[in-house]
Amino acid sequence: MSEAEAKTHETFVLPARVVSRVDVSRLVSEIEWIDGELTAAAVRSKTGAEKPVQPAYSDQLNDFLKDNGLSLDDGRERSTLIKEVRLLKDTAPVIHMTFAVPADHESLQELAQWLRTEIHPQALIAIGLQPALVAGVYLRTPNHIHDLSLRSVLKGKRDSLVKELETLRGQ
Amino acid sequence: MGLFQHKDHKGLTDAEAFEAEQHFFDENFREELRNHGRLYFEKVIKENGKIFKEDLDATIASVNTELKDHTDKQLEEAIASIKAELKEHVTTQLDGQFTEFSAAAKESQDVALKSLTDSADNLKKQHEDLASTLQKSIANQSLMLESLFQENMNKITAVKEANEAALQSLNQSLDELKAQNEQITEVLEKKIATQEEAIIKAFEGNMAQVVEHYLLDALSDQYDLKAQLPSIIKQMELNKQAMVDDMKL
Repeated sequence: MSEAEAKTHETFVLPARVVSRVDVSRLVSEIEWIDGELTAAAVRSKTGAEKPVQPAYSDQLNDFLKDNGLSLDDGRERSTLIKEVRLLKDTAPVIHMTFAVPADHESLQELAQWLRTEIHPQALIAIGLQPALVAGVYLRTPNHIHDLSLRSVLKGKRDSLVKELETLRGQ
Repeated sequence: MGLFQHKDHKGLTDAEAFEAEQHFFDENFREELRNHGRLYFEKVIKENGKIFKEDLDATIASVNTELKDHTDKQLEEAIASIKAELKEHVTTQLDGQFTEFSAAAKESQDVALKSLTDSADNLKKQHEDLASTLQKSIANQSLMLESLFQENMNKITAVKEANEAALQSLNQSLDELKAQNEQITEVLEKKIATQEEAIIKAFEGNMAQVVEHYLLDALSDQYDLKAQLPSIIKQMELNKQAMVDDMKL
């Protein structure tokens, strides 16, 4: 049994570059396209045509193949990989994270890395933007909401602010 | 020395002389003479014309001066005559009108004097009538005023009594109003204190919102995600267990 056959959608290691479900979809599309290209090349080579140029992989796919010890040389392995990556796309847990400012790719990679280390190895992030949060993150796991924004902190501290004002008035 | 000096005229006959003359006075020579005569005639005409023009100008100037003098003299005489006639006529007219105006004025003065005399008589008579009527009227009014005075005195006494009663009633009302005013003041003071407390509480609540809003405005866009990342990860660390449990469900 090869490495690709041993790996399933439940055991895939996701590289830091793959952050969201869209990235996984992109991986599926790219593997499908490469599979098509390589199959066509194999058929053409049987007819004695000139050997085609190896298709270039994206950074995300490179990291994915490298982290999982996979290669796309074998046609059967490619088919299995396509099926498993599709399953990964459908089953990987998604954590919705809404930020107050636009998220840059490096920060997202760092967050994805932390989530995969601490929460779930295949966690994906769905990103949202809500400037009213001021700072922090509004986080939604499959069943819970964690408001870790500054807005929430300020709202929680409103009573103490009122008390402070009352104290000031008393002076 | 002449043009024909070499010729000898003494031996010529009349016929020859006529022929020679005819030969000499040919058409061209005649034309020359005519032109010479015409020029001389024009010169004489021009000189005479110039002299004639100067004479004519002098004559016209002299005639003009004389005519002007004559006209001035005639005009002065005519104006003097007209002035004398006009003065005489105006004097006559004015005298006649003055006489008429004097007569009319005298007549008017007489009429006015007569009218004034009549009016004075009438006025005197009317004055006498009015004096007698006034005396009668004063007597009547004196009687009426006396009775009215008595009546008013009675009324004033009644009004005074009514005023005293009203004043007493007013004093009583005033005391009641004072008491009511004190009660209302007390209630209002209590209400004001309550409302003041409520307003202050509302203000504090709003102030908290204002401060919060200010902070939100002031802090928004101040930090990018990279700057917030340590804080976010720290927050997630605190909630890690809940998140892991949620993933297992």
